[in-house]
Amino acid sequence: MFDFQLLFEMRGLILQGLWNTVWICFLGCLVALGLGLVLASLRLSSPRLVGPLVATYIELCRGIPLLVILFLLYYGGPSIGLRLSAEIAGLVGIGLYGAGYFAEIYRGGFLSIPQGQLEAARMLGISRLNILRRIQIPQMLQLIVPPSTNQLIILVKESALLSVISVDDLTKNATAMVNETFAVIEPYITVALLYWLIIETIARGGYALEKRLAQRSRMPTPSSSDTAGATHATS
Amino acid sequence: MPPLETTIDPITKAKTTAVNGSLIEARGISKHFGDLHVLDNIDFALSPSEVVCVIGPSGSGKSTLLRCLAFLEPYDDGNVYIHGQLLGYEQRGGMRIRASEKAIDRVRAPLGMVFQHFHLWPHRTALQNVTEALRLVQGLSRREADREGMAMLKRVGLFDRAHHYPASLSGGQKQRVAIARALAMKPEVMLFDEPTSALDPELVGEVLAVMKQLASDGMTMAIVTHEMGFAANVADRVVFMDEGRIVESGKPETLFRRPASERLSQFLNTWRERALT
Repeated sequence: MFDFQLLFEMRGLILQGLWNTVWICFLGCLVALGLGLVLASLRLSSPRLVGPLVATYIELCRGIPLLVILFLLYYGGPSIGLRLSAEIAGLVGIGLYGAGYFAEIYRGGFLSIPQGQLEAARMLGISRLNILRRIQIPQMLQLIVPPSTNQLIILVKESALLSVISVDDLTKNATAMVNETFAVIEPYITVALLYWLIIETIARGGYALEKRLAQRSRMPTPSSSDTAGATHATS
Repeated sequence: MPPLETTIDPITKAKTTAVNGSLIEARGISKHFGDLHVLDNIDFALSPSEVVCVIGPSGSGKSTLLRCLAFLEPYDDGNVYIHGQLLGYEQRGGMRIRASEKAIDRVRAPLGMVFQHFHLWPHRTALQNVTEALRLVQGLSRREADREGMAMLKRVGLFDRAHHYPASLSGGQKQRVAIARALAMKPEVMLFDEPTSALDPELVGEVLAVMKQLASDGMTMAIVTHEMGFAANVADRVVFMDEGRIVESGKPETLFRRPASERLSQFLNTWRERALT
């Protein structure tokens, strides 16, 4: 029988875990999204100089497990004078690790825009920054939202590893509840549901954004009856 | 567009060579892709209101020449001047170095370009494609840009398609929007890179009609094309290229009726045979 009374008594621990998971993941993902954009831009704009360094960083991110990165930051950091709290080490770890994946997602988005569109803009005298802002990002957003949503979901799920470096997140606090009450089902089912809720929120947010972007671009003709152009459309 | 003289940096101007009469002049330009010589020591000039068609077999370097004239493809040797200003490079301490993006933009401001595959921005309507640069580069307000954009669309016969996205336009309409987009910046020279090659045969006419109108309005144009009929009727001069070199150049009636080179005769014969089959 599912013991709701037990959960009520342990609500403080659950809420603390939920809060820590949410804010660390939120900020960690923001770092990953921002740093990923910088990395992708650097890789594409400077293919000979900075590009190879960025590519190496990305390969390292993809080749090293998050848990090892967290160990290096939290336990290895002090040996080079980097003393981070478990929460900050977790946040930084998620940010650095996720940035590698987001950089590749963004790069794919940038490369999917035909070079000719950018040449047309250059011929009109539009600056690089405006090309990025007005031509590249609006088009690539539509392409990168689904894989980015997926990556955010993976990062949130992988954040359960933060419990190993003693962050009081959902997973660690659930284990603490188990140790304290010897009840296994209630704590883990509860945190599973909470993780699912967080991830469902991200997934739905992603779908909503996709829908909105689709409405904003590649719109159909203003009048469905006016199809003369579409009839002759060649591409 | 402000008079060009006001936008010329006096230092840059002093370092460039004045060219008499030509809007664009290419002197001895070459372009290599590895061992492949795509352009080999090309001289090319375009005078105001002149319409020049560049013809030749595929891979002869026609499009590369046009792209080098616009510095979309950096040329390796030689010089391209626009209004006497060196495009793409500047001399510093006896060395030739690549110019800044800003300097390149400034020198090639008199050029407008139309591409084979239109290269419209699919997330913008026809009108927005035309007004984007008016707003971002010329700083016009939305209202002013829209007014100007509508005038340009009207000029190419697409007033009623202003709020359509490229996906719902035919190939010919897309190309006309691309022409309107380039014209909106009031270029002095229009470069056309095979503007009808990607179109269904029945849509070619509408684009050629717009180009013909531009030519009769006095627009200076360089057109890379396979439309021999258009070249014969509209061009002041036809340039025939093969293997990265200009083989022959002259008035269309002379070039098409009495080709001086064996290569051009061969090319025209092949074209005639294909036209008959």
